[in-house]
Amino acid sequence: MKRYCIIPILIMILFLAGCGTENGSSSDVVKLRWVTYDNGSTPLAAKEVIEAANRVSEEKIGVTVELEFQPVEKINLMMASGEYYDMVFTSSWVNFFDKNASAGLYYDITDLVQEKTPALYDSIGKYWDCAKAGNRIYAVPVLKDMGAEDMYRLNSDYFEGEKGMEIPERMSFEDLEPYLKAYKDDNPDKYPLAMDKAGLPGYLNFLERIVNPIIVIPYDQQDEVKAIPFWECEELMNRYRTLHRWYKAGYIHPDAATIDSTAADKSFPVRGGVAWRGYQGYSNPADWGFNVKTSIYDGPYLSRTSEQGAMIGICAACDEERATACLKYIELLSTDRKFRDILGYGIEGKHFNYLENGTVIRLPAGSDLYNTKLYQTGSVVNASVESVSSDFLSDPDQWKAVFEGYDTDGIYSRTNGFAYDQSAKEDIIAALNAIYSDYAAELRTGTSDPDEVIPKIKERMEKAGINEVTDDINEQLSEWLKKSGQDLSEETED
Amino acid sequence: MKASKDKYKRIPVKSMKRETGELSLMSLPAVIWYILFCYLPLFGIFFAFKQFTPKPGESLIKNLFINSRWVGFDNFSFLFRSADMPKIIFNTLFYNSILLVLGIAIPVILAVFLAELHSKRLSGLVQMVTVLPYFLSYVIVGYCVYGFLATDEGQINHLLRLFGAEAVQWYQSPQYWRFILIITELWKSTGYTMVIFLCAITAIDRSLYESAMLDGAGFMDRVRYVTLPQLQPTIATIFILRIGSILNSDFGLFYQVPLDSNSLQPVTQTLDVYVYKALMQQANFSYSAATSLFQSVVGCILLIAANTIIKKIDADSSLG
Repeated sequence: MKRYCIIPILIMILFLAGCGTENGSSSDVVKLRWVTYDNGSTPLAAKEVIEAANRVSEEKIGVTVELEFQPVEKINLMMASGEYYDMVFTSSWVNFFDKNASAGLYYDITDLVQEKTPALYDSIGKYWDCAKAGNRIYAVPVLKDMGAEDMYRLNSDYFEGEKGMEIPERMSFEDLEPYLKAYKDDNPDKYPLAMDKAGLPGYLNFLERIVNPIIVIPYDQQDEVKAIPFWECEELMNRYRTLHRWYKAGYIHPDAATIDSTAADKSFPVRGGVAWRGYQGYSNPADWGFNVKTSIYDGPYLSRTSEQGAMIGICAACDEERATACLKYIELLSTDRKFRDILGYGIEGKHFNYLENGTVIRLPAGSDLYNTKLYQTGSVVNASVESVSSDFLSDPDQWKAVFEGYDTDGIYSRTNGFAYDQSAKEDIIAALNAIYSDYAAELRTGTSDPDEVIPKIKERMEKAGINEVTDDINEQLSEWLKKSGQDLSEETED
Repeated sequence: MKASKDKYKRIPVKSMKRETGELSLMSLPAVIWYILFCYLPLFGIFFAFKQFTPKPGESLIKNLFINSRWVGFDNFSFLFRSADMPKIIFNTLFYNSILLVLGIAIPVILAVFLAELHSKRLSGLVQMVTVLPYFLSYVIVGYCVYGFLATDEGQINHLLRLFGAEAVQWYQSPQYWRFILIITELWKSTGYTMVIFLCAITAIDRSLYESAMLDGAGFMDRVRYVTLPQLQPTIATIFILRIGSILNSDFGLFYQVPLDSNSLQPVTQTLDVYVYKALMQQANFSYSAATSLFQSVVGCILLIAANTIIKKIDADSSLG
């Protein structure tokens, strides 16, 4: 009971605290409260970096920001208690966009963005779709890696050097097995595949997850598009079976389902990762003590979920003037590279330096005091690319290749733009979430045998009413398909 | 004894009042705490009957009372959507009733023995050692337990292997966990409750024991005819207080200690754990308020019932 009563208390405190503050602006400069997501805490150098950025933006567009880095609980509480903000981080994984947008929490920027900030509007292009709810635009998508490319990260010193095995650029999910076996044969007491209770990163990315991750739409559905419970997806079941086989063979730690993180143990020769082609962050030998080669096994998959990786929503309570200021600010972030790099990397010469090919290297002060992720502070594509060390340069134009890759190899969800309004079935979904989490960790770590566990999940979920939810989704989906039928046929031609 | 009674008699009425006034002043922090954290948030009960739809930039009161619509008992439905609810309630009641009995019986027994110890030093040492676990958080306890039960590196599996037995995957074996959880909770809470009983025992008039001994009562007789009857009101009070929270379970014990292991779910799923799992993804305040209200109402009914029954048996031991 104690825990539940803490929520209203917190709200009370916030409410009481909120009474005192008033957004007064003395001059013409518009000061915006921008709340972004951060899993840890506010970077230590945030204050001086934001000041530096504010000097530039004030001069250029007359807008400054008060940027806050908040954890997901704080953002949820802020949204639920109606606290005032101007811009907020919203996405498919933190501060759910679909739910909030359909609840009317965000400003409808459909007309405003075309009218006031055409450069911003043009730069996003076809990716506006993921920010739509009911065909209106409610947020600005952050251009970053829009599609998920799931990869294995292998110790190439060991596999290529010692064992003479070849690591291809692409492999299938199951092709990893010989590598795991080779290591296990050499080190019977060790476990080759790094695995914690969150499972292999990105192994679900080949599904459009409508009720994450219980009701899904696989990308490869042939004729008709419809939502199905996850156990009806044969590909996913095969992955679970493969993982269970690996678990039994000793490739995965027996307690993987209860391990929080494997980050501290650098000795694993195989890890999973989600990134984009050309990404160097996994490969710095200084981080790992050995050379790493990545091999993509999935993707790039582009779906509503993946494209919603990071977005900036504008508060519905803003007036037009403030909303315009928000858009102008986002436009500046998306078009002015020097300005973008300030919020991305800090102050030049202090937190980062430019290298001769135009990429950026973080200085020790930057890594310690302002080590934010680019997606937290606006357009990633417009920021300079980071090199992991001065002898290991990244391609400064990597994003061009990545986005071309999306256009040529991208596997697109056919339901991009569809947002499920779950308000009528929320109680069932809560029950489904509880049931799913009874099995999820052991399923995704391979601990349990899917052929044994899935029938149990199925029985319990059906009792809880999963079919009602699936039917509800499919009803909304077919309506949406009817309405946007034209757009869809255009998209599939692309 | 007599001398102290006389002393109180001699205090004039006026200064008595001043004294009690000062004493009541000392309760002020507690009173303020209760008002702030127990009475003021009571309006949160409205959350349980509203579909809370906040509008940004508007005050909480307005969002709750004007912007949100009444939904009656709809918010409670998610609790009963899961077909496992009987099992979840069973688990909650199972652990709580066992811990209710053992959590009073064991500390009473220990306190009785400890009171017989002549060495004050040893008694103090025992108290310190048994109370210490009470101050550890369950997150830490969870990792201590993991140190014993881990499959590869755990101490118990080391021992098992030493004796040639096969290692057990503890976190995948639900059959042991009812015991493990009860033992863990008792290990953590016994010392603290014991100290309460120990205080009650020291307050018992020593002359009762002396006269019992003169009448030839042995240790067991003294416990039976002097200590236990004298402890009865304390035991009854603790019993009544605990029965009020019988639908609440220690989230740390049932979620952190088993490290949220899926296989153990049939024996670790209590109401609080279920609610956490159901709402973790959604941040739905109406649902959590509904659960909290449900637990409190059931707890309140049980508390009043227990108090009435105890009042019938022994009016002195009941509350109010």
